[in-house]
Amino acid sequence: MFFRCCLILPLLLAVTAFAANTQAPIPPTANVQPPISPPVNAQPQNAPPANAQSNVVVVVSSKSAVKSLSAEQTSKIFLGKVVTFPNGQAAVPIDLPEGNTVRDEFYAKVVHKNPSQLTAYWAKVIFTGDGRPPSLQTDSMAVRKAVAHNPNAIGYIEKSAVNRSVRIVLEP
Amino acid sequence: MIPATPALAPEQSMFKFGGFGTLGVSHSSLNQGDYVVDSSMPKGVGRSNEWSIRNNTRVTAHAIANFTPQVSAMFQVDSEYRSDGSYRPEVEWLNVKYAFTPNIYMRVGRVPLPSFMDSENRDVGHSYVWVNPPVDVYRQLSIPSADGIDAVYRSEIGEAGNTVKAIYGTNTEKSSDSVSTSRDMWGIFDTFEYGFATFHVSYQQRRSSSQSLATGVSGAWSNYSDLSVGASYDPGNWFIISEWVQHRSSTKVDAMYFSGGYRLDKFTPYFLYSQNSAGSFLTDSPSLAAIDRANRSQSTTGMGLRWDFMRNYDFKIQYDLVKLSDNSNGYLINVPTGVTLYGSRFHVISAVVDFVF
Repeated sequence: MFFRCCLILPLLLAVTAFAANTQAPIPPTANVQPPISPPVNAQPQNAPPANAQSNVVVVVSSKSAVKSLSAEQTSKIFLGKVVTFPNGQAAVPIDLPEGNTVRDEFYAKVVHKNPSQLTAYWAKVIFTGDGRPPSLQTDSMAVRKAVAHNPNAIGYIEKSAVNRSVRIVLEP
Repeated sequence: MIPATPALAPEQSMFKFGGFGTLGVSHSSLNQGDYVVDSSMPKGVGRSNEWSIRNNTRVTAHAIANFTPQVSAMFQVDSEYRSDGSYRPEVEWLNVKYAFTPNIYMRVGRVPLPSFMDSENRDVGHSYVWVNPPVDVYRQLSIPSADGIDAVYRSEIGEAGNTVKAIYGTNTEKSSDSVSTSRDMWGIFDTFEYGFATFHVSYQQRRSSSQSLATGVSGAWSNYSDLSVGASYDPGNWFIISEWVQHRSSTKVDAMYFSGGYRLDKFTPYFLYSQNSAGSFLTDSPSLAAIDRANRSQSTTGMGLRWDFMRNYDFKIQYDLVKLSDNSNGYLINVPTGVTLYGSRFHVISAVVDFVF
């Protein structure tokens, strides 16, 4: 009798998960505001203002064939679950360092993981030999430069750091 | 292993070292038997010691070498409480991987067995919420690896992702009083992910024979099979997860767990319910010892709190209420002969710190 209950429970879970998944996923941060773009030269790039509404955008090289990406596709690339863009082109994700607020905002809005969930995720993947995390660059300018040079690269930077060398493919 | 300083060059070095571990202690309210998390442990917490680190202390060193984009190797050596009562370091995994494409690869050597959703990362405390993966289920199949080959195929089906793995090999496992050799181990393991949901199904089979360490006598070869099904849903702020396994040899035993939790800033409170059922016999005329083993069953109701107090570290405290079935001593070991603890309830409190480096 127990065995039948035990089989039903995971199946029930599966049905619930599918039903719940048909609704749009709700991001953990409740604030939904229209993006505010500060004027380009208003503040120094490497000194974030005290109350920065840091708007993160996902970019690829302007030489890349990729025009746009969904949050789901971007999330899979940065979690190492896929290594190509939907068009089959190789995808090389580039991260900002741990502790960076733009990184935290990207992972919260697009990947739906906080920093400790992300560490737990990579601990599992790395120590079972299933992959490795993206390479790192120090700040948005360095990411933009690295992405601009590599048609296969994808990164996330502050919206104010965007220029013509990169193209925005996702604005979460 | 988790990069702490940003690399200025996009290339990654050939060798990477890292590791992980857990330091902890648990306390049992029952002093007539030992509570253990794995069937190979000769002692646990309770009768041998009221407080013990045996169930909660382990450390692993890990190295990866990327020779070319196709060829890499992985090495892992760990130290934990063993069947001989020591913490002697042993090679947990050592294998060479050849990637035909990033989504199709094969490995040769000692490879991990993904019997349950957290089997491969069972020793990485930082990667899951509980103090140990639910004991009533995970101890059903404590063979962690196979010496042989595995092959993996990852694919995308629309927005869903699927990973299927096949393994073939052998294994030698020591317990406190015997050595068990398994041959013709093979298994198929599938993980399917869609959005926030993950599903896992696996089937594996082996033939095993046990040799008693005391007498040197080997038993007959028996067939074993295990079927497991699991599902989890994790949208970020909360999660639920459940797994079920059916283990067959001369008896059939089921075990399952159901767990969930909520994330509030750096804290994750969680609950856990697990149980294994008494086995039913698949052969006639079992021996008394076999009936005794088959009758073992217990359930666990637990709750705990995980606190991610610092990057790469976490602290957990967990309270487990264990209830033994009405006609067995459950999975307790070192119970004095003649003592029956049928129907007893006792609790285990555990506190651990996990780390990765």
